Amino acid sequence: MNDSAPQCDHCALSIPAGVLIEDEVSGATRKFCCRGCQGAFRIIHGAGLGVFYGRRDWGQGGLPEGAFDQQYDDGYLARFVQPAETGAEMTFLLEGIRCASCVWLNEKILQELPGVHSARVNYGTHRARVSFDPDQTTPAALFAAVSRLGYLPRPYSADTATRLAEQERRSLLIRFGTAAFLSMQLMGYSLALYAGYFQGIDADSRWLMQLFSALVTTPVVFYCGWPFLHSAWRSLKNRSAGMDLLIVLGVLAAYGASLHAMVFDGEVYFDTAAMIITLILAGRLFEGAARRQAAAGVDRLLRLAPERALRREGEQWCEIDSAALQPDDQILVRPGERFPTDGQLLSEATEIDEAAVTGEPLPVLRQAGESVAAGTLNLTTSAQVRVSASAANSFVARVARLVEEAQSRRAPVQALADRLAAGFVPLVALLAAATWGYWSFWPNPEVNPLLAAVAVLVIACPCALGLATPTAVLVASGAAAAQGILFRGGDVLEASARLTLAAFDKTGTLTTGKPQVVALHPAPGINQEQLLGWAALAEAGSNHPLARGILAAARSRGIEPGMGQGVRALPGLGVEVKTPQGLLRVGNRRLLEQAGVLALPAPAPGGTTEVHLALGGNYLGNLLLADPLRPEAAETLKSLHQLGLKSTLLTGDNNAAAARAASSLPLDKAIGELLPADKARWVEEATARGERVLMVGDGINDAPALSAASVGCAMAGGTDIALATSDLVLTKPDLAHLLVALRLARRTLSIIRQNLFWAFAYNLLALPLAAAGTLVPIHAAVAMALSSICVVGNSLRLAKLSGHESRALALAPPLSENSPC
Amino acid sequence: MLKSTLILILLSLFLGTGVWLVFTWAVKKGEFDDTEGPKFRMLEDDPQPRKDQNHAEKD
Repeated sequence: MNDSAPQCDHCALSIPAGVLIEDEVSGATRKFCCRGCQGAFRIIHGAGLGVFYGRRDWGQGGLPEGAFDQQYDDGYLARFVQPAETGAEMTFLLEGIRCASCVWLNEKILQELPGVHSARVNYGTHRARVSFDPDQTTPAALFAAVSRLGYLPRPYSADTATRLAEQERRSLLIRFGTAAFLSMQLMGYSLALYAGYFQGIDADSRWLMQLFSALVTTPVVFYCGWPFLHSAWRSLKNRSAGMDLLIVLGVLAAYGASLHAMVFDGEVYFDTAAMIITLILAGRLFEGAARRQAAAGVDRLLRLAPERALRREGEQWCEIDSAALQPDDQILVRPGERFPTDGQLLSEATEIDEAAVTGEPLPVLRQAGESVAAGTLNLTTSAQVRVSASAANSFVARVARLVEEAQSRRAPVQALADRLAAGFVPLVALLAAATWGYWSFWPNPEVNPLLAAVAVLVIACPCALGLATPTAVLVASGAAAAQGILFRGGDVLEASARLTLAAFDKTGTLTTGKPQVVALHPAPGINQEQLLGWAALAEAGSNHPLARGILAAARSRGIEPGMGQGVRALPGLGVEVKTPQGLLRVGNRRLLEQAGVLALPAPAPGGTTEVHLALGGNYLGNLLLADPLRPEAAETLKSLHQLGLKSTLLTGDNNAAAARAASSLPLDKAIGELLPADKARWVEEATARGERVLMVGDGINDAPALSAASVGCAMAGGTDIALATSDLVLTKPDLAHLLVALRLARRTLSIIRQNLFWAFAYNLLALPLAAAGTLVPIHAAVAMALSSICVVGNSLRLAKLSGHESRALALAPPLSENSPC
Repeated sequence: MLKSTLILILLSLFLGTGVWLVFTWAVKKGEFDDTEGPKFRMLEDDPQPRKDQNHAEKD
């Protein structure tokens, strides 16, 4: 962002010179960049919601492109409306939600519509749920109200899988809540029984307490513990011991022994049974929370492709469901719309914004016959496309399936706990049998052989085992998320801790991806300022990254470009502007060669982008733009070395550019002229050599390498597909965060190992007591409580960044423009 | 003594069950679905937006 330009009061984008609109709203003069912003500003003020502008905290603009030319059709939207008690209810996704103010604004504007009872926007999922009176308003009116603000509403119908997941989450929450409530009641009775054990208690009171204990424990074991009973039964049938089996063994032993003890006047272990189940349910809940945290955002990505498409039927274009598209259908995609599925372009060339899919910041020119991908945005001309894949098999849908698959896999660390438990189950069974055998052969009037064996089972079940991994993963991913680092699952945390080699893409990863003017080569008779002035004149209205680089350079030299009349963008070439002195052409070499301009200098060495200028037939000179290195890149690479990671640059640029980057950065190796498949092959070869590879990159050209690597890391910046396919996401474009992520991962892994130790430690200490037949309920309770406290406390240590990690952050410049929103 | 203990226990169970019912009702109503938003929402105290006019014609 360049601060010297005036900012639009609505969208906060800098206003290109010459298009400024001034308007008097609420007694103050406001500046706008377009009529749309002016209109939106007036709507918001007219509705008395002007505080929005003070409330939002983003200094950067950016409404989704194509947000304004949408039409909403009641007939189509009607299927997303569900009947409700108050009339009708509808859920839709809101694209463009950035912060709490957006949530607030949308809720208020929806609530203001006549006939709307309530409107609630979920901050996490960006879903709006509106209940309204269908006689007074229509779904299309709701959509229109939201889209007039510049947010893009998209119909949302939860598929069966998401609905099931939601139901499961709620049922788990209810099971946990119930278990927690009953366990708290139980604790009261248990304390009375503990006291009775030490001080004496009359038989009636004791029996009453035991009765109530049994009463509240039964639902905990059989209702709240049902998922464990079920899965233990399954693992018994498959003859594979897991953690659930160990849990169920301990719980049922404790429960059964207590029922027996009630009848034969012994000590009861109801509290142990209930506590095991409650704590393990809590662990499950944490695990789910960590996973959802990581999955947020992916859901929205999958809905990039529009649900409606215009299909040619005879001579007409008919609007149909995208799902009904078949290969070889012909569809029409207007400028500002996204492609509903993959296909080949039939009509003339058009420019396509593939940022969401490939991460390529510059619009890409596609010629007739070339393929276009679902979810990309058509920019310049109406495109006719021959469909090559049904929507269910489109590129975005395939990526979606990959992501879902990746998310459902079980973390190896979790598997570690399972493996540990699997080895533990036979051991415990053996020990219990040995105890029983010992006391049977050498009877002791003080010890009941069966009860002693059961006591062994009870104490051996470590309830903290269920907490060991989830709490550490949750705390670590929470601490990471606060820094803008998203680990997609516990397995990624573990893999990140074991990396040995880091491979980097160049553009947008080690460099900023924002080209800057590095050299001006005016033709004879022209000075540098004049050259820059001409270039800025032509580019003033453009949002192209090269244009922004040129404009920034012009402003830094104090040149305020005027606005050219009749600017014509030539896709893939550059721009033409009519000026009093003739036609000004600004663009690449090809543009000027086509226009017949002579005397072009030889191409500059690689690594830079040339922009040539000509006025009429006269060559004016050229500008060289280059992508600068990130300021923190060198420091980060040095720190990676200290962590023991080798670093390599993998780039598609030529070898000279790769060598230049390697000379200015502490890289171990730099390899140029790599195709996307070559990068992936290189990563695979490194993996075969025994390296565990971290691949940092963005965009579709890195995607094969990202997935081939042990950990694929993507940095934010309009690269939705890369974000979805990677395991580790840095939401702030700052390499220092990568160091924080790696250090945190290492710490998490060691904490998990410690947790597993603590989970067993106290229980193992109490095991001899059980085998000796002298275990009492309070011993079991203390062992459970101590191990749980140790595990949770140990995990909580991850919440604080260590000195190392804060230093890594200190090395990074503060981020002003990308603050929370 | 035993009787009063029994009464107190039943009373606490009764109270607790009430709380538990509220909790399950809240979960089913979706009250725990968004745990991020409310912390921002609580800071808002804005005037009730006007509902008397149709804003569709305002611009």
